[in-house]
Amino acid sequence: MQPEATEPEEDSVWEEPPSMLWGLDPMFNAFNRLYVKDILHMRESCQVSGIYFYNSHPIFKVDVLGTVVYKREREDFFCYGVDDGTGVINSLCWKDEQWREQGDPATLWARAFGSSACEDFNPASELKKLRQAQHSSSHLEIGELLRVRGPVKTSRQQREIMASTYYKVSDPVMAVQISWMMEVPQLYRQCYDKPFHLDSSAQNIQGGSASYLLGRATRILKDFLKEKEVTRFRPYDVQDLLQPLVSRQPQKTASEQEPEAGPSSGPPTSFKQLRELLQKSLQILQDEGLVFRKVKCQDEVYHVTERDKDLLMAVRDILREDCRREKYAEKGCHILHILSSVRQRYSRNVSKAALVLVLKALECNSDIISTSDSHYTIL
Amino acid sequence: MSPAVFHFLWEVNFGAVKEGDSVRTFGRLVSYQPEESKATLSIQHAARQHQVVVQTTFVEPFDPIIGAQYIVLGEIEKAEGGDGVMVHARVLNCVDGVNLALLQRGVNEQRSYFRERGESKGDAATAAQQRAPL
Repeated sequence: MQPEATEPEEDSVWEEPPSMLWGLDPMFNAFNRLYVKDILHMRESCQVSGIYFYNSHPIFKVDVLGTVVYKREREDFFCYGVDDGTGVINSLCWKDEQWREQGDPATLWARAFGSSACEDFNPASELKKLRQAQHSSSHLEIGELLRVRGPVKTSRQQREIMASTYYKVSDPVMAVQISWMMEVPQLYRQCYDKPFHLDSSAQNIQGGSASYLLGRATRILKDFLKEKEVTRFRPYDVQDLLQPLVSRQPQKTASEQEPEAGPSSGPPTSFKQLRELLQKSLQILQDEGLVFRKVKCQDEVYHVTERDKDLLMAVRDILREDCRREKYAEKGCHILHILSSVRQRYSRNVSKAALVLVLKALECNSDIISTSDSHYTIL
Repeated sequence: MSPAVFHFLWEVNFGAVKEGDSVRTFGRLVSYQPEESKATLSIQHAARQHQVVVQTTFVEPFDPIIGAQYIVLGEIEKAEGGDGVMVHARVLNCVDGVNLALLQRGVNEQRSYFRERGESKGDAATAAQQRAPL
């Protein structure tokens, strides 16, 4: 859609390409041989956590070759610190259950086949050799060379590789490390450092662009309502937030052969687009229950569900009163019962989705508790 | 933990790496004094022999093969006697048979890439600051 070809790391307003289009980038599906320094500094996506961006490319998995500089062993996993010369990163390597030193498989085999098994092939000893090979391949000491591939995770503020594959590399004359050092700069020059260009067909997908725009608009509104702790608002108050989305839109219809305009393509059409976008976004927020219109009248006032103290109190009072009654004492009130009570007492326009959010908020505050999937009671 | 950046022995001797920083370098093992836990690595460059002392306390016992190529990973410290630096090894691996010319080319290839990118390896921290924050 809008990704600029500028260097994303320098441009603080660089926008991520929409997640729907990430699959178009071959790097998204590959184990990328990035330097550890770059892995540690990639920016995390704000659309999907666990995906990172290097130079506008969405990165999911990496492939690292480096020296083990520290090691932590637990019963189920190793945590190796891998140093490739540009940085050090944690690598979480799970131990393979089936190769645990138990001796049972070998003895089972021996019992099953006995020593009268074929002379050339003794399953028990072959299995033992296999286990030893597996053991030596996964148990590394400091100074040994480790190859690790897997997705990147950020855990406790630290980047880590969750190894899907890892093994000790035998490199007595540094041949592997040298070829790695020669190849990786080439990979960078040829792939990683070239920005991710969406070709024009991807950008002009009408459906895609519309839903992408809507997605962005709702996100902008949600972030705004959350940051500014808004309790109530009118559409006019938030209209301007969506202005940049509308003015940056590429020419929509193919029939308009206007020369490439700058920011806005004329006040009337862009204002209409803005109103339309705003309406649709507000409808989505209502459908999700994040906002509701307490009173439906000329004056379009939206209440932010979770900040409406009166609504929260009303729901709490309903539960408090009803749960005293014998009918609801044991099991609590069903959500639909609460919904009809709220609609009678507070506002006819509270949706089930909004009520769910309210109940969640009250439960987080320990004012109420859910007794079953759809029953709640007062605490 | 700071990464152990590749440096050549002559660069280490000329103070290319700050005290306390990690470094990775290589050379031929010319001598080993087990009682002092000191080894000396040497490399020829530009018609000169360059040597550096390696403190081997953390990597002992190791099987010293005099004349073989070794790669060392460790921290730079002031040499005893105050003259020059030494490497306090955390890793000391024999890589005898390594193609030195190719290794040097590999290191230079990586460096020229980073130079193209507009940052020096030692400046990785400042370059990272300029990028998008985590």
